[in-house]
Amino acid sequence: MSETGTLRLAVGDRVVYPNQGLCKVTGVDTKEVAGQKLTMVSLIREEDGAKVMVPEAKVVAIGVRKVSSSDEVDKVLEFIKSDSDKASLDWKARARTNVERMATGGLMGLAEVVKGLQVLSELRPLPTKERELYNDARHLLVAEMSASLSVLECDAEDTIDALLFPVGKERPKRTAEEFRALAGGDDDELGLDGDLMGGGLDEEQPEEPEAEAEGESAEAAEGDDGEEKPAAKKAVAAVEKKLRPREAVTAPQEAMKKSVISDVDVTMPQASPLIEPVKRKRGRPPKPKPEGPPPEPKKRGRPPKPKPDGPPPEPKKRGRPPKSASAMPALPPAGLTGKKK
Amino acid sequence: MIRVATFDELDPKLVKDLCKILYQAFAVGAEHSGVVTPPSGMNEPWDSHRLLREAPKVAAFQDDKVLYVTSRKLLPRKLLTGEVPTFGVSQYNGQRAVVSFAHIKNPTENVKQLARYALQELGHTWGLHHCLDPRCAMYPHWTPSYPAGDASFCVFCRETSEQKIRLAKS
Repeated sequence: MSETGTLRLAVGDRVVYPNQGLCKVTGVDTKEVAGQKLTMVSLIREEDGAKVMVPEAKVVAIGVRKVSSSDEVDKVLEFIKSDSDKASLDWKARARTNVERMATGGLMGLAEVVKGLQVLSELRPLPTKERELYNDARHLLVAEMSASLSVLECDAEDTIDALLFPVGKERPKRTAEEFRALAGGDDDELGLDGDLMGGGLDEEQPEEPEAEAEGESAEAAEGDDGEEKPAAKKAVAAVEKKLRPREAVTAPQEAMKKSVISDVDVTMPQASPLIEPVKRKRGRPPKPKPEGPPPEPKKRGRPPKPKPDGPPPEPKKRGRPPKSASAMPALPPAGLTGKKK
Repeated sequence: MIRVATFDELDPKLVKDLCKILYQAFAVGAEHSGVVTPPSGMNEPWDSHRLLREAPKVAAFQDDKVLYVTSRKLLPRKLLTGEVPTFGVSQYNGQRAVVSFAHIKNPTENVKQLARYALQELGHTWGLHHCLDPRCAMYPHWTPSYPAGDASFCVFCRETSEQKIRLAKS
């Protein structure tokens, strides 16, 4: 029997290895690794029989734990049943939290990942990575619940899904407002990419990245005086783009916005019919074309060598040059050449 | 290979159409393995777990899947979170699955509907879980919109099933 921290492991115990699933302890042996004697706990993953050996001292640090009790399962089911999803809506924070929950959160952590992504999927389809994460979390959750309740996996999954997909009801459709309310009214927290938004949410596209807007305004600032009109137009577009998503919705009373860009005083009435709706350009703005004649096209490859003046040199003779007679060593007698006849 | 075994004498056209749809969905051969007798002493509605456990063996290789099809009703399962209607059960990452079409009117005409339920149970035998996409056959089958859907998988479930099948073959 092995005691590691608060975890006592014996051969035959069923444990949960984070991100791997249910394992069975098959042995606790002492092995010599790189000159050190280590006590290793051998585990076999039940799903496919893969073998894992963990140093005894690291069992707790890795997060290996015993299978959850039925009380913990009850708590998890209560959590899934409740409408208390507090998943972060910032995709980076969400990804970080979910990975952490998967590794160290235990059964409740898995349930939180499943529930959080399930709720998010009611707003829009999950991106591939999150869909994979959802599938992994669900797989681990179902396997552990099945082991904990001693029921078939199909029953364990249906136990969860009877709460997530109520019998005889369709899943509710979430709105972006609902998420915004959860996030405290900050649009940036949504973490919704334009490509990932559902069909009905087109009017709530998030802001373009700051860099792009800045790039456009910078481009406008660099424009020539002769091109004042397009520069001004671009400046208006940049300003409007910056203001459109938030101010247009939240502060209609601010009728006038004033901004100075590229020495052009732009007075922009909010939601004015004179200003055309700006089409979003994706990617890097095109480089300004240089003035003057176009430069000569560069020649590819190595430049040719300059030809030397005078007659062409004699061609080099190939092979080893003949040795001079003075430098030739005296030949040894025929009997000492060492050649076999 | 998917072996379809039936507990009742079914219309050959129904079985043939079902095998065809299964073949299209999994890209794995499907064939009718004949009629088998249910375990003795079973009363309708049948206990799905017992059926799964005690159904007679069908000649199959280790990586084959066996789908038992019945026209009898299956007993709804009582779970911790309530009772769920049962139109089929399966062994996760196992070999056997049971599907019932007792609730489908005119199954010969609605073979796609039967195939959708069969796909879900067979998908579970390859380790697929319930899906979030209502159009996918792996969506929980007790939702009202489920029977109206196509007998096909979403992209994620199709790729996962292909991966699992490849793994099983290798």
